[in-house]
Amino acid sequence: MKRNTFKLAFILFVAASVSATTLSLIYTVTKPKIDEYRTHTLQSNLKEVLEGATEFEEIITDTLWRGAASSGELLGIAFKVFPKGYGGPIETLVGLKVDTTIAGIIVASPAEGMKETPGLGIKVREDWFRDQFRGRKQQELLLKKDGGALDAVTAATISSRAVVNGVKEGVERYRRHLVEGE
Amino acid sequence: MMRYFINGILRENPVLVLMLGLCPVLAVSGSLRDALGMGVAAICVLFGSNLVISLIRKGVPPQLRIPIFIIVISTFVTIIDYTMQAYQPELYQMLGVFVPLIVVNCIILARAEAFASKHSVFASILDALGIGIGFILAIGAMGFFRELLGNGSVGGKIILGQSFHQNPVLFMVLPPGAFLVIAFLMAAMRKWRSQ
Repeated sequence: MKRNTFKLAFILFVAASVSATTLSLIYTVTKPKIDEYRTHTLQSNLKEVLEGATEFEEIITDTLWRGAASSGELLGIAFKVFPKGYGGPIETLVGLKVDTTIAGIIVASPAEGMKETPGLGIKVREDWFRDQFRGRKQQELLLKKDGGALDAVTAATISSRAVVNGVKEGVERYRRHLVEGE
Repeated sequence: MMRYFINGILRENPVLVLMLGLCPVLAVSGSLRDALGMGVAAICVLFGSNLVISLIRKGVPPQLRIPIFIIVISTFVTIIDYTMQAYQPELYQMLGVFVPLIVVNCIILARAEAFASKHSVFASILDALGIGIGFILAIGAMGFFRELLGNGSVGGKIILGQSFHQNPVLFMVLPPGAFLVIAFLMAAMRKWRSQ
């Protein structure tokens, strides 16, 4: 009986070790590729939310960037906010122009950890929803239901409201960085 | 041999007859694209786990079957997750969300336990493909009907007219719609099988 227990424990130990070794190998091989893709995506996302900007200076690691045109002229800032949605935080990248209007927003995909309901809350990623933010000032950021001008995704008010409030709070928090040297 | 393959598709359809893996089928079938994504991700893991488990089946003591199967399955899920992220990032943008969910898909463990641990490698591969296709058909049918009625579209293309798309049978893409559609599909399946 006792011998048998040891034998079973040993077999399980071997199985777990093989699995762990395989996984660490796969991880080591794929990690640089994954990071490279992430950096690449971030750069193209930054360029999309802050149109015209080509040079991005990171002010707060992975959270706040200042974007300038190739001529060096400051165009605005881009920042990430993580408002709480229905399934978890909704990572949203926001571009804010020097005149304090929103230049654009991008909502992270499920693959990047966004957990809104497929078919419902996930629609806050769609172009028509994101495009509504363009050119808005901070005080205009409200859903129609709450007396504002933005349409919510049908049957996904929580997700829609989260994104709207997240953008709004982000503007409030990071606006001061629009002034150079701050 | 071929019957192992054909069985899983209709006669022993994992979802509509064996009633396995209902959780992902109900949860991720709001649109055709999501449903097919889940289906493709599941068949990949099913293939890998059935293959490995039938290879090692003689070395696994009966008391350790379940823990070892779970190690094999979760290892596969993680490998697919990383590999897809690294080499097929565009595909991962679409399927990535479904990959971790496969761990809770009991079809995989059920086939490992009920089939792959008792059959040859070749038979296990055929079984994985048959069951996988059966799963894709079932979840795809769910996604098709729910998206059609709940959004007026198929695969994102609006086909029932703009006015229906503006005002669809919204609850079909919500959880109650999932239960309703699967009930109809199961009823149709029983009818077909009893004839």
